[in-house]
Amino acid sequence: MIMSITNKTAITGMAELQPFIRADDRRTLDLLAEVTALALDDAGINKGDIDGLLVTPPSEDTYFMWPAQVAEYLQLDLSYMNMVELGGASAVGAVMRAAVMVEAGLCNYCLCLSGGIWDSQVFNTREGKTAVMSRAEIDYELPYGPMGFNSGYALAARRHMAEFGTKPAQLAKIAVDQRYNALANPLALFNQKPLTIEEVLHSPVIVDPIHLLEIVRPCHGAAAVIVPSAARALNGTRPPVWIRGAGEAYTHNSIVYAPVLTATPIKKAAGKAFAMAGLTPADVDLVSVYDCYTIAVLMALEDAGFCAKGEGGDFVENTDLTYRGQLPCNTHGGQLSCGQPSYAGGMSQVTEAVRQLRGEAGDRQIKKNRFAFVSGNGGVFSTESCLLLGRDR
Amino acid sequence: MQGTGNPYWDCVEGEEFCLPYCPLCQKFVFYPRKLCPNCFKSPLEWKVVPGRGKVYSYTQVRVSALPEFDSITPYVLALIELDVGVKMLSHLVDCPSEKITINMPVEMVFREIAGQKLPVFRPGEGL
Repeated sequence: MIMSITNKTAITGMAELQPFIRADDRRTLDLLAEVTALALDDAGINKGDIDGLLVTPPSEDTYFMWPAQVAEYLQLDLSYMNMVELGGASAVGAVMRAAVMVEAGLCNYCLCLSGGIWDSQVFNTREGKTAVMSRAEIDYELPYGPMGFNSGYALAARRHMAEFGTKPAQLAKIAVDQRYNALANPLALFNQKPLTIEEVLHSPVIVDPIHLLEIVRPCHGAAAVIVPSAARALNGTRPPVWIRGAGEAYTHNSIVYAPVLTATPIKKAAGKAFAMAGLTPADVDLVSVYDCYTIAVLMALEDAGFCAKGEGGDFVENTDLTYRGQLPCNTHGGQLSCGQPSYAGGMSQVTEAVRQLRGEAGDRQIKKNRFAFVSGNGGVFSTESCLLLGRDR
Repeated sequence: MQGTGNPYWDCVEGEEFCLPYCPLCQKFVFYPRKLCPNCFKSPLEWKVVPGRGKVYSYTQVRVSALPEFDSITPYVLALIELDVGVKMLSHLVDCPSEKITINMPVEMVFREIAGQKLPVFRPGEGL
């Protein structure tokens, strides 16, 4: 029998810093403290209530004893803590782990923290590249000058185009719809003017077939959510957002060793999450999927079952993905329009889902807001973590 | 990596291509390592293999990844599926990017890339 954590825990506190470009003298720990204060306020609890901590890795500080470094800086009194390192899937993965730990009784209020100072040139030096590479990648890939994640996603996009006839304009449409969403998000880094498919396709090709405007912009920021038990959630001051289902899957570290390039572990991860939640893609009102590149969104939609494998191109072309559309997708603008503040980029997919399910999304509020599908994706389709969140229990 | 006693790079230096092979699983292994990733047994045997395969996917890198690649940018990174059943990242050379197709047959040649002799691939037809 599979243990289910459906509706046993909820998200009651949520906060994020506005993504920003100039770090000055702020460091990752400062950002984590700032966002923790906001999340505690939002949840209506005190720092002393927090007894669990799940934190994503630091960007510029040492990994060693990182949870202890964070707990010390925040002066937390904990009975459970850990670091979640699943790359871009870390933030979503932290929420799933928090639900499990709270349900198991190891802690009562688990703080899921994510953020960092992340320079835009982070991957543009040998040092920056090797910092996110395995020994095998350094020995057998780096000599060929791979462009980090850019070239990995480009290889996947190229193969998808060859197998299924996916068109560059269809991928560009994802960035365009998400930019429309960002125009209604005051926190977004890029919310000044709309984007057109032509503008995306005329932006420089960085790694063929990926254009500049299909790639996230690294920046600085932080985000947090607080996960208590159902009983504590019901006694809180904020409407709980219920964790109904969760699932993960992983097949590789480097994309070179992925079993295939045109399908991702999201299929398995989402399948587990939907089964646990007792829901299907047809029940979902908001799709909040990891969007480091446009192709990541398209493949997530396919593999999570919102359209058939290979039909993602036609699907996004013919589906309004804006908050006014048939399938609202990344209604905050996604990381493509909000920026990618290190590991907190992936947490933006969670915070936006919480905001929408609470009905607090302001101008971009979706009308029907019962269920959200959330995904985090690490590496190049390497680690996949999926959540189903619900407004109603 | 050359001259480190790693048979992979020692072979490349002599313009040969060799890979570890697990005699129990009867499979080649890439990237080179001590244990078979399938049965976790060792030792693996080094075997010279023909550098033949096909293009699984490719991308033309238009913005140099590192300064030492500036002089060859744009260059084509390719994921090659070798006939012996493993995939590896490499370059595709001697082929205009518009002529590249998925599943195109390729053969290995050795070229100096950013100061290091590497196995790369060129179109394999019409040899």
